[in-house]
Amino acid sequence: MSNAEPATNNVTKRDIRAAAIRYMFMACNTFNYENQQAPAVVFGLNKVLRKIHKKDEDYKASLNNHFNYFNTTTWMANLLLGASVAMEQKDGIQSKDAVQAFKTGMMGPLAGVGDTLVWVLYPTIMGSIAGYMGLQGNPTGAIIWLLLNIVFFFFRIKLFDVGHTSGLKLITALGDRLNIFTEAASIMGLTVVGALIPAVVKMNIQLKYQTGEVTLPIQTEILDKIMPALLPAVLTLVVYKLIGSKKLSLTNIIFLIIALALVCSYFGILGV
Amino acid sequence: MEIIQAILIVALAFWMVLDQQGFVITTWFPSIIGMIAGFIMGDVPTAMVIAGTFQLMALGVANIGGSSVPNYGLATLVGIYVAIRTTGDIENAKAIALAVGVPVGMLGIQLDVLGKILNSYVSHAAQKALNEGKFAKMNRIFWIGPLIFGLTTAIPTLLCVIFGDKIVKVLLDVVPKWFTDGLSIAGSMLPVVGIALLLQFMPVKKYLTMLLIGFVISAYLGLPILGIAILGFAFAYYFFTQKMNSTPAAAAAGNGNTSVEGDEFDE
Repeated sequence: MSNAEPATNNVTKRDIRAAAIRYMFMACNTFNYENQQAPAVVFGLNKVLRKIHKKDEDYKASLNNHFNYFNTTTWMANLLLGASVAMEQKDGIQSKDAVQAFKTGMMGPLAGVGDTLVWVLYPTIMGSIAGYMGLQGNPTGAIIWLLLNIVFFFFRIKLFDVGHTSGLKLITALGDRLNIFTEAASIMGLTVVGALIPAVVKMNIQLKYQTGEVTLPIQTEILDKIMPALLPAVLTLVVYKLIGSKKLSLTNIIFLIIALALVCSYFGILGV
Repeated sequence: MEIIQAILIVALAFWMVLDQQGFVITTWFPSIIGMIAGFIMGDVPTAMVIAGTFQLMALGVANIGGSSVPNYGLATLVGIYVAIRTTGDIENAKAIALAVGVPVGMLGIQLDVLGKILNSYVSHAAQKALNEGKFAKMNRIFWIGPLIFGLTTAIPTLLCVIFGDKIVKVLLDVVPKWFTDGLSIAGSMLPVVGIALLLQFMPVKKYLTMLLIGFVISAYLGLPILGIAILGFAFAYYFFTQKMNSTPAAAAAGNGNTSVEGDEFDE
């Protein structure tokens, strides 16, 4: 291992940052059904690993190892890959199996929490705010979202560095905290989603109830008196049950709603 | 001017998939893509109304674990381009965007699957180059991956940019008013799909209270969403701090990385 020792020292902060950015750019852009994100990992790490593994044979072995199946939330992968680089720096090519075991062992748990936070809760909260403002022609929400993404971009570069310096210990400890964090984010998410139903789902009954001289607009005089946003609430429940029953695909449900709207428009039941 | 706009829209289509799968800055979420498309087309308000409609439909549609989902960003982009090219009226624009965008967005699923299948070959070719010791060649091969994914959205956008507004203009002359009205109504109902889908993933039964509180404040009091989001954050913060204190193990483990976690709170 004499040749691995000096290699350890010439990996700079800049190399680590470059590896982070290279991986972040490629992430899912070479995604395939066989080894999923693995090519992106190789693309991201190949420059820094070349500095670590001076011998061509070691370098090939290391990269072939990273060509193995890899898939997790790309934001979280930065932590794992940072720690992997640290392991290879410390033990050279002998760390190969440990790196592989570490990556496959951690990618599942991190994806579970990471996908919920990054791909479900974050877009839900920001999407609700930006989408609602958008309906009024206002881009403010979208601008805030864009700015937050830029903040997270730098945060993720930092995550790679954190993984590299603090390594395995931290990542295992993070698990518990992240679970509570996810629950808390769900609480915020559900409050927003509850508010969204009356705010964005709109149905206006055009029919009027007529007896003799009196005309009674059904929407404003009957439905709204029972409960505001009664129809959107009912529609949400129906679609929720439909999706849950798995009898109709999502695409079919979308086309069903469009068909329903067209029929109601034709007979003047619903208005714009 | 129109040519430049068309080129920028296609370029945005190419970029948005790469960013969504990589840097996650401009993403392909309808709100942000719609805003950029609005600036390109010179009509931000109309673009935002269309983007808002698609954004709310897209809630809960997460492409996690390598699954393929309707590309609502693509739907937004072509919807906005064709709608602004053909009409100046917002309700009409919404109807047109929906009619053009939904099918194209659905097509996005198939194209995404195709892109992922083709990328198997990229991975194989790169690994072969590695084992032959051609390291620079391996690096170049990787770039084919993003090229493939970029084309999966750029090609349908290009077709819509070339043919979309002409076809829609012809159709608008023959399509009756109840039909475009019906599409507008559908646009106001479709956010329900995103919401209902989202509720499948979230712990609704456990935190039904929060859903009801949000509903009541919005329906009866009419508070804007941002205000309700802050209220939701207040509940979440209370839960988080209480829970952290009551689980000593987690709290102890957490002490070492407070600074890391702190950043995420800004959300």
